[in-house]
Amino acid sequence: MSLVDCYKSLEGDYEDVVGRLRSERLVQKFVLKFLNDGSYDLLCSSLEAEDYKEAFRASHTIKGVCQNLSFTKLYHSSHELTEALRGGWSPEAAPLVERVKKDYEQTVAAIRELQAEVGG
Amino acid sequence: MMRDKITRFLSVSVAGLTILCAAVFIFLAHYMNRTSAQTIHDVGTIYMTGMNERISMHFHTTIEQRLSQVENLLEFYGEDTEDKGAVNDRLAYGAKARGFESLAFCSDDGQFKMLYGKAIKITDPEPFMRSLGAQEKKVAVGTDADGKNMVYLGIPAGYVMSDGEMSRALVAGLPVDYISEMLALDKSNTLVYSHIIRKDGSFVIRSGEAFRQSYFQRIKAIVEEAGGSNGDMYVEELSAAMAADQDYSQVLAIGGERRHLYCAKLPYSEWYLVTIMPYDTLNDTVGRLNRQWGVMVFVSCGIVLLSLLAVFVRYFKMTRMQLKEVEQARHEAVEANKAKSEFLSNMSHDIRTPMNAIVGMTAIAIANADNQAQVHNCLRKIAMSSKHLLGLINDVLDMSKIESGKMTLNMDQVSLREAMDGIVSIVQPQVKAKSQSFDVRIHDISAENVCCDSVRLNQILLNLLSNAIKFTPEKGSISLSLWQEPSPRGSDYTRCHIEVADNGIGMAPDFKDKIFESFVREDRTRVHKTEGTGLGLAITKYIVDAMEGTIEVESQQGHGSRFCVILDLEEAVIQEVDMVLPSWSMLVVDDDHMLCQNAVSILKSIGVEAEWTMDGETALERIEERHNKNQDYQIVLIDWKLPGIDGIETARRITKRLKKDIPIILISAYDWNDIEEEARAAGISGFISKPLFKSTLFYSLREYMGMAKRDGEEKSDKELNGRKILVAEDNELNWEIASELLSELGLDLDWAENGQICVDKFESSAPGYYDAVLMDLRMPVMTGYEAAVAIRKMDRPDADIPIIAMTADAFAEDIKRCLEHGMNAHMAKPIDVAETARMLRKFIR
Repeated sequence: MSLVDCYKSLEGDYEDVVGRLRSERLVQKFVLKFLNDGSYDLLCSSLEAEDYKEAFRASHTIKGVCQNLSFTKLYHSSHELTEALRGGWSPEAAPLVERVKKDYEQTVAAIRELQAEVGG
Repeated sequence: MMRDKITRFLSVSVAGLTILCAAVFIFLAHYMNRTSAQTIHDVGTIYMTGMNERISMHFHTTIEQRLSQVENLLEFYGEDTEDKGAVNDRLAYGAKARGFESLAFCSDDGQFKMLYGKAIKITDPEPFMRSLGAQEKKVAVGTDADGKNMVYLGIPAGYVMSDGEMSRALVAGLPVDYISEMLALDKSNTLVYSHIIRKDGSFVIRSGEAFRQSYFQRIKAIVEEAGGSNGDMYVEELSAAMAADQDYSQVLAIGGERRHLYCAKLPYSEWYLVTIMPYDTLNDTVGRLNRQWGVMVFVSCGIVLLSLLAVFVRYFKMTRMQLKEVEQARHEAVEANKAKSEFLSNMSHDIRTPMNAIVGMTAIAIANADNQAQVHNCLRKIAMSSKHLLGLINDVLDMSKIESGKMTLNMDQVSLREAMDGIVSIVQPQVKAKSQSFDVRIHDISAENVCCDSVRLNQILLNLLSNAIKFTPEKGSISLSLWQEPSPRGSDYTRCHIEVADNGIGMAPDFKDKIFESFVREDRTRVHKTEGTGLGLAITKYIVDAMEGTIEVESQQGHGSRFCVILDLEEAVIQEVDMVLPSWSMLVVDDDHMLCQNAVSILKSIGVEAEWTMDGETALERIEERHNKNQDYQIVLIDWKLPGIDGIETARRITKRLKKDIPIILISAYDWNDIEEEARAAGISGFISKPLFKSTLFYSLREYMGMAKRDGEEKSDKELNGRKILVAEDNELNWEIASELLSELGLDLDWAENGQICVDKFESSAPGYYDAVLMDLRMPVMTGYEAAVAIRKMDRPDADIPIIAMTADAFAEDIKRCLEHGMNAHMAKPIDVAETARMLRKFIR
C-alpha cells in the first residue's frame, strides 16, 4: 500500500499534507509516527476515569495532530468531540466518542497496512 | 380605562376627605363651644363665690370692728359711776369721735334713750330685740327722725339709765350709705353689684337701679319684662336655699342676657348678701374667644383641605404623566416588536433568496456533474450566494452583539492609507459591475496613522460605500472623501471627516430621520429589489457612537445621499520614516483641482518639485514647452479619467512625442488589472492607487524610480536564519512536524514539553537568548495562557519576547483570549511554514 493509498484509505488529504510538508518522505515518517502517539490512549483512559478536562485536552491534541497530518476524517470527528467536551461532559459527546474510536481505528488500520508495506 | 378608574378614585377620595375634615372640625368647634360655656359657668361660680365671700368677709370685719368700737366705748367710758350724766357725756364723746351718728340705750321694752343724735326707729325691731335679749350682738336697719336710712349696731349692756331703769343694750347708728360705700356695693365701675336683703326678699341695702321693695319682686319683674316666665321658680329656689341656710348660686336667663346670682347669709344679722354679675362682659370675652376659635378652626380646616387638594392634584397629574409614559413605552414596545417582525419577515425572504439559489444551483450542479463548465458556473453562483448569506448573518450577529452591549472596540494603530487602499480594492469590483464612476479624494491629511479599531473603521466605510453602490443606479457616481482638521479634543487628536456621496435614489425626508434605527429599510418597491438586512446603518451608527463620533446624512429623493462621519481619533505615536525624495521635477495631471493641490503640496513636502495641470491637452503643451527648454519632467503622474483625451491616450502621445523613456505613472481609484495591458502598451510604467497619501506617493515613487523595494519586502529570509525559537508543544508528533518544517527556515528550535518547562527554560536562559516563543495553548501541567502570563511577569529585559500562539482553535474568542494573556499573535494549526515565517518576521526584533 502506497502512501497515497493509505491516505485514501484513512480518508485524508494527501495533496494538502505534501503541499505543506513538501516531501513524501517526511509525510511517511510522521504518518508512521502517528502509531506511537499517546494522545488516543490518553483520551480513552481519561474518559474511563471520567476526567473530562484531560479528555478534552487529549481530543484537542488528536485534532491538532490530524490537522498537521491532514487526516481529514479523524480531524472532523475529533474536532466535534473537542467541542462537545469543551465545557465538560455533554450528552452529545457519547456518540462522538464512538465516532472518534471508529475513525481512529480506520486511520490506524490504514497506517498499519502502510507500515507492513514499507517494513517499518 | 385605568385612567378613568384612577380619576374616579381620586375624586371620591377628595370628596370623602373633605367631608370628613369638615365634620371633624365642626364637631371640634361645637364641642369646644359647649365646653367653654360650661367652663364659663364654672368660672362664674368660683368667681362669684369668692366675690360673695370677700364682700361677706368685709361686711363681717367692718361690722365686727364697729361692734367692738361700741364695746370699747363701754369699756373705756362706761365706767359705772354715780354720775350718770358724766358717763353719758363720755360715751357720747367717744361715739362721736368714732364717727357714729347717734348713740342710745335701749330698754327692755324697745324704748331708746338717746345719748346724742336723732331718734331711732328700728324697721324690724322684733328679731333685734330678741337677739339683744339673748345677750348677742346684733345689727339692724332703721330710720332716724328725718327718715334717713340708718344701720344700728346693738351691744348688750346693762346700765342704769337716767330714768333709773336698766338698759338692755347700747345702740350706735351709722348711715346706710356708709355700709354701702364701705362694701363698695354702690360702685358703678365694677361689673358686680350686690344687694343685701332679708329672708322675705325685702331690701336692706339696695344698690344700682333697684327700686322695688322686695328683691323677689324685682327678679320676677325683670324676668317677666324680658318675656320669661320662670321668675317664680328662681324665687322659690332662692327662698328654699335661704330657709335651709345654704348658699345659692344660679344663672338667671333674662331674655338674651344671662346673669349670675349668688346669695349667702351675712353674720350678725338676718340679712343675705345677693351678688349679681351680668355675663355679658364675660360672655363677650369668651364669645370673642369662641369666635376667634371658630375662625381659626375654619381657617385651619381650609388650609388642611387646600393642602390635601394640592397633594391630590399633584398626585393626579403625576399619575396621568406616568400613565402617559407607560402608554408611550407600550407604544414603543409595540413599534419595536412590529419592526422586529417586519424585519424577520424581510430577513426570511432575504435569507431564502440566496438559500434558494444555493439549493437550486447545487441541484443543477449534481444533475450536470459531468459538464465541467456548468458545474463551475453553478459553483461560482453558489459561492456568491453563500457570501451574500454570510454577510446577512454577520450583520444580524453584529446587531445582536450590539443590542446586548457586547461589542467593544479594539483600539490599535491604523494606517488610514492601508484602510483606504483596502476599502477601495474591496468596492472596485462592485463599482465596476454597475459601471458606476468612483472617485476617492483626500486632502489635508496631517496624521496618516491613528488609533482606531481598524475592523470597525472598515465596517463603517464598507457599509456606507456598499449602501451608496446599492442605491445608485448604473452609470451613477459615487465618491469617498477623507480630510482632517485639528480636533477640539487636543493636539494629540485629529478630526477625521469621512464623506460618502452618491447621486442615487436618495431618501424621503421622513425616512431619513429613522435611517439609523435597527431593522428599518425604506418600504418602496424599488428598494425591495435591493437585498440587505437594513442593519448596516444601525451598526454603522453604533460603531460611530462607540468611537464618540458623529454621523449625519443629507439626502434628497431622486438626487442622491451624502453621509458625513466625523471622528476624533488619537494620532498614533510611531516613528514615521523620514520621507525625503530627490528633487525630481514632476507633473501631476488630474481633473480634480483639490487632488492636484493636495498632491503637489505633499510632493513638495517630501522634496519633489511638482507642478500640476487639469487636462491632457495642457499637460502635453507643458511637456512640449519643457522639452524645448531641455528641462524635461522626470516623472509624470496622470489620472486615467480625464476630460478630453484620457490618461492613457495622453501617455501614448507623450511617449510618441518625447521618444524617450520617462516614467509615466497612472493614478486611479479603479482596478489596475483591468487597464494594465492597455496602459503598458501606451508606455505607462506604473500605477498608483488613489487616494494619494503622503506615504502612498513616497513609497510608490521610490519603487517606480528604482530606489528601493516597498517596506516589508526589504526584509528577507536571512533574518530568520539562526534565530532561536522556543517551541512549547506537548505532543511529540506535532513537535517533530514543527521542528522539521521550521528548520527549513534556518531556525534553531528548542522544545518545551509543556508550559511549565517552557517558562523554566526561558527563565534560565540568558536574556536575549531566545528570539521568539511558539506556544501551544492546551498543554498539561501549565497551559499556554498561563505560561505567557508568567513570562510577561518576569523581571528581565526580554520579558516582552514575541509569543505566538499555535492552536487548533481558531475562533475569534480564542484569538482575543490569546491577546488578553499577553501573546502577540495567533496562528491556527496546521503549521504553515510561510505563515509562521511571516509572523516571525513581523514580530522578531
